[in-house]
Amino acid sequence: MSVLRPFKATDLFKFNNINLDIWTETYGISFYLQYLTRWPDLCCVQEAPSGRMMGYVLGKAEGTGPEFHGHVTALSVAPEYRRLSLGRKMMALLEFVSDETYGGFFVDLYVRCMNKVAIGMYEGLGYSVYRRVREYYGSLGLGPGGRDEEDAFDMRKPLSRDPQRRSVRANGRDVVVSAHDGSVL
Amino acid sequence: MDPVAWERQIRPIYDALDTGSNKSAILACNKLLKKYPKNGLTKALKALALVRSQKVEEALILCDEVLAHKPTEDATLSAMSHVLRGLGRHTDVVKMFEDAFKTQPGNEEYAAQTFFANVRIGNWRAAQQVAAKMHKTFENVRYVYWYVTAVMLQAKDPATPEKMRELLHQLAHRQLMTSPSPSYIQADRLYQHLTVLRELKLYDDAQKVLEHDTGKTMYNNSLAVDELRRNLWQLSGRWTQERELAVQRITEKKDRNWLEFLSILDATFAPIVSSEEVSDEARTACSEQISRTRELFTRISEEDGLKDRSGLLGLLELAKRSKHYGFSQDSSELLSLLQTYWHRFGDKACFYEDVKPYLELDADALSRWTSFIDSVQPSCNTEANLRRAINWHKTRRFTLPECEITPELESARASEYIKAYFAGLSLGKDLAETELQPADDLVILAAHAFVSSWSIGGGEKQLYNASVVLEYGLTKSSHSYHMRLLLIQIYRLLGSASLALEHYRLLGIKQVQNDTLSHLILARASTFSLAGSGDITYSNECLESSQIYMTNSHETSDWIVRAFTQEKYSQIPDLIALEDRLDNSLQRDLVKLEHVRMRLTHEPINSELIDMELIELKFNFDRFHHDNRDIDIISNYQPSCQKSIFEQSVLFKKLPGPGWLFAFLKIYIRALQQASDVDDMVEAKLLIGDRPKQSHDPEVQRPLKERLATRKQVELDELTPNELALYDFATALGDWLEPHHDHIRPPPAKVLADASKQTEAKTGRPLQGIEPADLTTNGHAKKDEEAPPVKDAPESIACFFDDMLARFKKLVESGELPSELLHVATLTQEALLLFTIETLRFKPASVVKMYKLGALATSCKAIRTKAVAVLKDMSTELTKLSEKEGSSDQRKAFVQECQVVQDGEQIAHDFVLNVAKRVTDSRKKVEEGIAKSILKICSKDT
Ligand SMILES: CC(C)(COP(=O)(O)OP(=O)(O)OC[C@H]1O[C@@H](n2cnc3c(N)ncnc32)[C@H](O)[C@@H]1OP(=O)(O)O)[C@@H](O)C(=O)NCCC(=O)NCCS
Repeated sequence: MSVLRPFKATDLFKFNNINLDIWTETYGISFYLQYLTRWPDLCCVQEAPSGRMMGYVLGKAEGTGPEFHGHVTALSVAPEYRRLSLGRKMMALLEFVSDETYGGFFVDLYVRCMNKVAIGMYEGLGYSVYRRVREYYGSLGLGPGGRDEEDAFDMRKPLSRDPQRRSVRANGRDVVVSAHDGSVL
Repeated sequence: MDPVAWERQIRPIYDALDTGSNKSAILACNKLLKKYPKNGLTKALKALALVRSQKVEEALILCDEVLAHKPTEDATLSAMSHVLRGLGRHTDVVKMFEDAFKTQPGNEEYAAQTFFANVRIGNWRAAQQVAAKMHKTFENVRYVYWYVTAVMLQAKDPATPEKMRELLHQLAHRQLMTSPSPSYIQADRLYQHLTVLRELKLYDDAQKVLEHDTGKTMYNNSLAVDELRRNLWQLSGRWTQERELAVQRITEKKDRNWLEFLSILDATFAPIVSSEEVSDEARTACSEQISRTRELFTRISEEDGLKDRSGLLGLLELAKRSKHYGFSQDSSELLSLLQTYWHRFGDKACFYEDVKPYLELDADALSRWTSFIDSVQPSCNTEANLRRAINWHKTRRFTLPECEITPELESARASEYIKAYFAGLSLGKDLAETELQPADDLVILAAHAFVSSWSIGGGEKQLYNASVVLEYGLTKSSHSYHMRLLLIQIYRLLGSASLALEHYRLLGIKQVQNDTLSHLILARASTFSLAGSGDITYSNECLESSQIYMTNSHETSDWIVRAFTQEKYSQIPDLIALEDRLDNSLQRDLVKLEHVRMRLTHEPINSELIDMELIELKFNFDRFHHDNRDIDIISNYQPSCQKSIFEQSVLFKKLPGPGWLFAFLKIYIRALQQASDVDDMVEAKLLIGDRPKQSHDPEVQRPLKERLATRKQVELDELTPNELALYDFATALGDWLEPHHDHIRPPPAKVLADASKQTEAKTGRPLQGIEPADLTTNGHAKKDEEAPPVKDAPESIACFFDDMLARFKKLVESGELPSELLHVATLTQEALLLFTIETLRFKPASVVKMYKLGALATSCKAIRTKAVAVLKDMSTELTKLSEKEGSSDQRKAFVQECQVVQDGEQIAHDFVLNVAKRVTDSRKKVEEGIAKSILKICSKDT
């Protein structure tokens, strides 16, 4: 059981149990407020009945013309609440609002090529790799994860405005682009 | 002037400012000012560069020159608003834009800037007037909403009298009625409209808006609007409708938002909850509803099976409430549901948290539950079973009766948890280094049991064992923040301050987390601060963690303004709450005070320090504080009859709160005020920025002197006995010396004249804003008054030092925790520092002679001698302890005390020895450091 509700500015006082996990970054307050003052309906929280935060998603709408889409900026669930479908539910909300309210053509997100769990989840939800972005997470000097540590997959899922599925492609994993200018490598 | 040529000359200044080269910006401005000495923009930019290089006095002069000419040029206004905000002169920003708008009433940008300037300082009344004018002049509907938002915020402001609120709500409503377009064209306008209707209890009107097609779409698509809709329906008693919608969402849309389940539950019991006298019909109606709800939830729970917990948890909540309202007599239903829940979801990590609220059972039910749970103890052979085993232990532990909690039993339980941990550890052996081990919680449980054992008299060794298991756990799950949090608490108790800090830093606390989590390391941190002996690590930590408050005051208001321009009205109250809660954060001022306490141990105590800290602490004294500290971050698995793990392990058994803060503020403000020459009048003249907003507590309106003298029980309750002794000492000292301070302190006119002279020496001009009248003493100088007689020092002052020494020795003899010893020693040291502040004025021989203070000086000297003797004694003792701490015997003893964790032989002797070494070394360091600090302070200006 979890309460799904809007992300509020004062949730910054409450998100420690999610953000202390190493996979989740804590940004400056302006980062969060920029989302809340423009796309509040794309930001939501899952909360336990006790009031403890379980997870949250922050998203935005961007692009023009057929590129107009919803974007998942951050999705995170506290370790003790994983595998309860919370990630799935928050993604469903973000897709619904991107579709209904914003009329976007697709939803996209970036995920570390190494993050198997998240990639598996997104694929299960109907996302596919559109392209691989070289050194999206900076140049780390190749660690044990190799390129997968610093590269990101740009993953997409078409919405109802894109019934022809023009926003996705089959061989996305093979399309490698530069993080700096988007040029194909 | 040719705009292109001008641009070419001014651009380099902007570039220099952008890259932070303030020096070259100033040079470039000076060059330009030679050519165009009257140019407002250049002056404004120079002022900006000066502010950024902390040259406030010079900036002020330029600032006043520019403002005097009432600028109306965009670039100048923009630069000036940065300058003024940098100086904290927000009211002047308002005035500047107001003036510009007055000069050009058709300029929409100036109007908006005037509105925003008011928004930034929460001046809602003025903001509302500007918005009204804007709506009239520029005829844009958004200004109606700006107006309404400002009015609603004014109504919410604590300063607004209750009676005014209704009036304001009506005002907002009337204005909305004049809007040419309906609110439902935008979710946030609709939101604002509904908020107004809710405040006025116009529920039927709200219903009309919601029933409109667009209204419906909006509450179905926006969580924020839906939240408000739910609230409105519940307030207006539309329970049938609320229930129907929730049922539809759950069954048709497969929505599993717990809010929908709660709505059904609330609707179920509405017939008997809402009225005071419950009729039989109401009970019958409720009873029928219960059956319907049970049927629905049962169906959902069967359909969802293992997929979702909501249905079954709904049934649990239903059973609990049914029992509470007397619809079922015993706990059978609840028990059988709990058992189903165990079977179905016992392997979910959140099982324990889910069922905890349902485990408050009466004796009979409890014993049935316990025998059930005892019959299903799982093994740790698979990952799912391991999670089940963890839940089993947590749940079993939760209902332990008090009689089964003894030091020995708890230590034995810890052993059991450790055994289970090692059994479970093998399941995660292939996980990547960055992953968390599934068995982690068993180590955490073991630490709980050890801490519990310590808290009921099991001895310090329990804490050693706890630290060893947790350190071990971290070698397997290096990112387990739960383990680190407990270690920080335990190391502070043990006095291993540097280890506590090391773990804290590894948590990677950033940004706003500094406000919510720095209490872990900074609460009463002066106990461990080695600033007195030159190591300012803790002192720096205070400064770094306080950065977030500057960020908040620089950035958050920009986003509030942005919410207006983006028309995201629903966000505004929360943005304001965020800004306010950070600005008036309790933790902020607690850290500030700790910093002052540390600062006094390593900086020379002089009038500059005294005046500056006095002014800041007085601001803090007028605040209404918010406690944003996150205490729940430390998961608690202690039995329900015990205190939480946090409460058990917090340093000195008490977390400093508002009471502690006010007690210490009183101690320090009083001492600093007596020592300072800056009285209220002088302070008002010297102050540069706006005064922070004061609390609306009537208490704040009372004269400062009275407030400082008032002792409140709630405040005293938050002090440790040793801190209370310091408070008593400070009070007696202040009472004794006050008449002499008041007699000798120079009159305000003289203080101002001196300050003005100093400014002149620095900037070439006297202090601004001081009238000649301020500089004349009102005829008679105080010196003509009769000098107060010198009285003997109250005995309690000298006694304080003897008492503290006695306490200290007793603690040493009975082998108490090092943190307790350090507490007494640092407070005694603090008493000497307070004494130094209080007697600074009477030190110069000329003063003693002029005011005939010979007897007073003798008394002071005697007290000082006593204090120094006592402190040296403590210092010697601490040095002895630190030497012992560093010995191999001490490490051996530590290892020997850790038998329990070494039982299964999984944790190697060497590992334990290494922890022992780190713990004892860290203690040695702090004991040594404080001993040195004391000696240094004792030797200062004797
Ligand atoms: C990725 C993350 C958000 C998933 O959240 P979650 O609430 O646990 O996910 P859900 O329970 O909704 O999972 C949905 C589906 O994803 C898949 N999945 C999720 N976690 C999985 C795991 N650890 N192993 C295998 N499959 C997994 C499953 O198919 C799952 O469906 P199922 O449980 O019915 O089998 C969470 O693991 C997380 O916060 N990770 C750290 C931050 C992060 O990596 N964010 C993504 C950055 S883009």
